[in-house]
Amino acid sequence: MKQLKLLALIIIPLGIIIAAVPADRVNQSRLTPHELLQEAGAGVQFISPDIVADMLVQKDPSLRLIDVRTPEEFEDYSMSGAINIPLSNLLSDEYTDILNQDAYMNVFYSNGSVYANQAWMITRQLGYENNFVLEGGLNYWFGNILSPEVPSQTSPDEEFARYDFRKSAAAALGGGGVISTDDAPQAPKAVKPPVTAKAKKKPSGGC
Amino acid sequence: MGPLAPNEIISENTNFLLAFFIGIAFGWVLESSGFSSSRKLAGIFYGYDTVVLKVFFTAAITAMLGLLFMSLFGWTDLDLVYVNPTYLTSAIAGGVVMGAGFIMGGFCPGTSFCGAAIGKIDAMVFIGGLFIGVYGFAFTYGWWEKLYLARYLGEPKISDKLGISDGLFGFLLILIALGMFVVAEWAEKKFPREEY
Repeated sequence: MKQLKLLALIIIPLGIIIAAVPADRVNQSRLTPHELLQEAGAGVQFISPDIVADMLVQKDPSLRLIDVRTPEEFEDYSMSGAINIPLSNLLSDEYTDILNQDAYMNVFYSNGSVYANQAWMITRQLGYENNFVLEGGLNYWFGNILSPEVPSQTSPDEEFARYDFRKSAAAALGGGGVISTDDAPQAPKAVKPPVTAKAKKKPSGGC
Repeated sequence: MGPLAPNEIISENTNFLLAFFIGIAFGWVLESSGFSSSRKLAGIFYGYDTVVLKVFFTAAITAMLGLLFMSLFGWTDLDLVYVNPTYLTSAIAGGVVMGAGFIMGGFCPGTSFCGAAIGKIDAMVFIGGLFIGVYGFAFTYGWWEKLYLARYLGEPKISDKLGISDGLFGFLLILIALGMFVVAEWAEKKFPREEY
């Protein structure tokens, strides 16, 4: 009887604690709407195109560009090395391993940043980390990185430095100059990485 | 972070190695708590010894609290923890067969190996029966397949069915367990046996 009282003394308070914790906190892999709102409001998901350009030029292996537009748009043009995960298929099982990982820096992009942002919202809400959004999307990328504007003579030095960087990045990335629809830089066709579904291990047991 | 094996933090082989050591520890604890005695085990059905109920229910409560707290601290993802799928008909049929075997043989599968390890002949005979059952079932699987796969429920959780949180259900289960322990202690006083 004494042991029983001791046991009760330990497990009842633990039980009360675990019962008192709000249900959505017990499973921490998902974010609460408040946490999500805070993160989205702070804009932590955005990554500047200059950083992406630099990583592309450096051939940083940790960068993984994810095109969330439709496969047709992806076929027409995609950024160098990008893979295609159409927004409508984002939750498909075969992509879970790509989106929920901690080895790569995933950067979503679309024409603007709306679709990419939606993709980020959804994955973030699922608790996935290391996903980002290309700020400004492809439109900004074309207009400013691949064909940078010459700053005016009175611009501060930083402007010129950025212009120089962008010009050399554009050259390295196959852009530069005026982009006509005919000779738009054709990125090599991205190959889908082989998806090895992480099968749940099936332990078995019993008494 | 966890669970370790599904997240590939440890390999399948390491997992088996850990299981091997945990298994040895488990067997040692079983033996030293007297689980190698079939009379002690059968006591649960007659009320004179309820150590089986107390040990296994305490183990279940401990594991449950451990998992819930580890999930709370973000150490393990409960979605990845393997849950046996429920086939209701075979769960009931299997429970009846296992229970009958438990009363008749005085062992459950795990404790029979525990008994055999210290040289108990009845435990060895029980293991023989166990293998006959396993092979018998495997070779006649075609006869049972329909029954075996009937009424598949997926991986249901009682807390989901009741519409309460996992934590609250855990707390209720603790209260139920403590209530059962009180009844068990009462039964031991009510149906005592001097020697077994």
